[in-house]
Amino acid sequence: MTCAQPVTGTTGIRWQKVLYERQPFPDNYVDQRFLEELRKNIHARKYQYWAVVFESSVVIQQLCCVCVFGVIWWYMDEGLLAPHWLFGTGLALSLIGYVLFDLVDGGEGRRKSGRTRWADLKSALVFITFTYGFSPVLKTLTESVSTDTIYAMSVFMLLGHLIFFDYGANAAIVSSTLSLNMAIFASVCLASRLPRSLHAFIMVTFAIQIFALWPMLQKKLKACTPRSYVGVTLLFAGSAFGGLLSISAVGATLFALLLVSISCLCPFYLIRLQLFKENIHGPWDEAEIKEDLSRFLS
Amino acid sequence: MVLKAFFPTCCASADSGLLIGRWVPEQSSAVVLAVVHFPFIPIQVKELLAQVQQASQVGVAVLGTWCHRRQEPEESLGHFLEGLGAIFSHEPWLQLCRERDSKFWSCKATYQQVPTSPGAHSEDQVMLIFYDQRKVLLSQLHPPAALPDHQAGDATASACGLAAVFDTVSRSKALFRSDQFDEGLVRLSHWQSEGVEASILVELAKQASGPVCLLLACLLSFISAASTCRVFKLWPLSFIWSKLSTCEQLRHRLEQLTLIFSTQKAENPSQLMRKANMLVSVLLDVALGLALLSWLHRKDRIGQLADALVPVADRVAEELQHLLQWLMGAPAGLKMNRALDQVLGRFFLYHIHLWISYIHLMSPFIERILWHVGLSACLGLTVALSILSDIIALLTFHIYCFYVYGARLYCLKICGLSSLWRLFRGKKWNVLRQRVDSCSYDLDQLFIGTLLFTVLVFLLPTTALYYLVFTLLRLLVVTVQGLIHLLVDLINSLPLYALGLRLCRPYRLAAGVKFRVLEHEAGRPLRLLMQINPLPYNRVVHTYRLPSCGCHPKHSWGSLCRKLFFGELIYPWRQRGDKQD
Repeated sequence: MTCAQPVTGTTGIRWQKVLYERQPFPDNYVDQRFLEELRKNIHARKYQYWAVVFESSVVIQQLCCVCVFGVIWWYMDEGLLAPHWLFGTGLALSLIGYVLFDLVDGGEGRRKSGRTRWADLKSALVFITFTYGFSPVLKTLTESVSTDTIYAMSVFMLLGHLIFFDYGANAAIVSSTLSLNMAIFASVCLASRLPRSLHAFIMVTFAIQIFALWPMLQKKLKACTPRSYVGVTLLFAGSAFGGLLSISAVGATLFALLLVSISCLCPFYLIRLQLFKENIHGPWDEAEIKEDLSRFLS
Repeated sequence: MVLKAFFPTCCASADSGLLIGRWVPEQSSAVVLAVVHFPFIPIQVKELLAQVQQASQVGVAVLGTWCHRRQEPEESLGHFLEGLGAIFSHEPWLQLCRERDSKFWSCKATYQQVPTSPGAHSEDQVMLIFYDQRKVLLSQLHPPAALPDHQAGDATASACGLAAVFDTVSRSKALFRSDQFDEGLVRLSHWQSEGVEASILVELAKQASGPVCLLLACLLSFISAASTCRVFKLWPLSFIWSKLSTCEQLRHRLEQLTLIFSTQKAENPSQLMRKANMLVSVLLDVALGLALLSWLHRKDRIGQLADALVPVADRVAEELQHLLQWLMGAPAGLKMNRALDQVLGRFFLYHIHLWISYIHLMSPFIERILWHVGLSACLGLTVALSILSDIIALLTFHIYCFYVYGARLYCLKICGLSSLWRLFRGKKWNVLRQRVDSCSYDLDQLFIGTLLFTVLVFLLPTTALYYLVFTLLRLLVVTVQGLIHLLVDLINSLPLYALGLRLCRPYRLAAGVKFRVLEHEAGRPLRLLMQINPLPYNRVVHTYRLPSCGCHPKHSWGSLCRKLFFGELIYPWRQRGDKQD
């Protein structure tokens, strides 16, 4: 590169990285100090293994939710589980959860959101009434549609629920509304296959409890009492595994493998891969506005 | 510059004399209107010209001399004619001359005072154009339609020149009023000089038309006053009037008749043509209607029709019942919601049951009704056709009802599904910004929305099928009605008088002219024959179309499909109010 040769200045003119002064150097000239500003991996974070495992429990919880829902539906469809019993258990667990929801943070969240107990009662009444009113319609809704279509649709919707669920990541794909709606759609589809309208009613109620109410309680437990959250997760995963085992051993084994790989292998792999990370930063980067612009906007 | 002299062919055999006409300086053309024969007294010629000028507002003047040499050339006549130029001074002074055997024409245009070379007679080149005075007088020139830009300037200039010629001839009718049998002071030669063209029938009709028009106008004003009576403006009646195409047609005809028999004179030729078109259309309509009436009342055809009508209506209802029973099963192997299917099917079956009992209640009176309706054909075929369209609408009222129920249900579902689909994705429609925004819903809203969404999604195929079937039936009826309306519109709006004129007297409607070369020799003036180009038929229809009563649908195909998809109601008619905005 002949063009980059400096005019070997005997006068000792130092090259400056400015455009507003005429300098005796070619345009593409840089001197020795060029790479001094090179930075590597400034945004890379060091992860602790157990912290990552703890964070992955959200995924585990959601997988278990879907699994438990499927298992319960299977039991209902086979007639092994009486709807009254499921309703009673669900109601009791919901009441416990409701009490816990306020106890965990000492009523802090309720005061912040300004939501009254009357509003909670109204919501609950709306759920129960509408589901009960619609349950005969739901029962006959998909009579003429083939069972395979319903299964395929439910699986598709539940997968969608898992994909769009808000696991705490800040991504464009996350939409908790869509995720919840897909879960409800799947539950209505599956409920319409059950033998009686009471079954359908209780199935949809259960779906609300497990897909809408339980994640809210989970979030609060995780924030306030991490220890109990770990316990609850383990208990939940164990019960899901047990339920699945009673239906199919192969399914249970696969499910357990999935859980273990997500909670143990994936964090390990993440930390290993962090070592290969090599991001370089320097003056050639695009400009980034770091300053808070909100004061200009107001 | 070439000077154009328009010369009437009827004057070609006239005796020598003076050329009377108009000089159009913009086009440098002279339009010769008539020839004044010898002998005359110059003062009287000037008086005549002044009278004509006052009557017609056309600058008629003596343009030059006309010399028809039947015998040996007379030198003295030539000198005399030249001398006339001094009496009737005109710039330029035309000297037209025809030799014995009509083969040789000569034409000169001289300027007596030319500033560049004073004293000398300067001559111009002259182009002689013959025209048929009668045809040009009677024809109406239609300016050409808009042309592409590069031709437009040229075309408008030549069109202006032509228009000036046609205008001059048509406005100087006062000049043609005297014929050779008049004991006038000045003898003229023009197209009517052999005798005024007229017919006794036309004159009689002209005389009679005044009182007849007055009488009919009175009668019509009575009828229209009765029709605007307050009783007919009450709510249910006015609504029914606006929906029945018979009423629209009658109103339209009444308006036309009022216009035809109005005692005011038509101001311009296009208005006159409009009146004539309307009159011919009404006459033809009534004639066809009478033919239909005579056909109907021969051999008791009305009775046969009435006997056939009830079984046909029964048959239609029966077919509909079969269709509904088919829909209530598993039509074409479709997955329908059984409960909803049964509900809808029974609802519609009950409707058909009601309909059949209504028809049977009506059946004894149908013959009498038809007989009275048949009488209405004497008001015109269009009225009879409109009544037929209304009868079809009344007899297929059940189909219309089914269609409305189906469309409303379907529309409700489509609207609900579209807004619930937005809720399903966590979005909502922002009416202020006309766009879809994201929105955070409450848990119970989400739950109820999704529940309804699921229900609607699974019920949609059933509703859509019912909607589809009844829409197809409805479209069939609408198509039949549309064809009838199209026929009525055709009779209403076709300019039959103008078309007849174009067929029998093509020169009356001129689109332009064409020139045929009669003689083109060096040293002699170019002689052309101007012939009238008739207006093409499509332009005749386009120019003189009568306004129809606007009962035909104005949907484009795209908007029709869109409306059908979203379940909006479609109608074969448009109300008068809608048409304006």
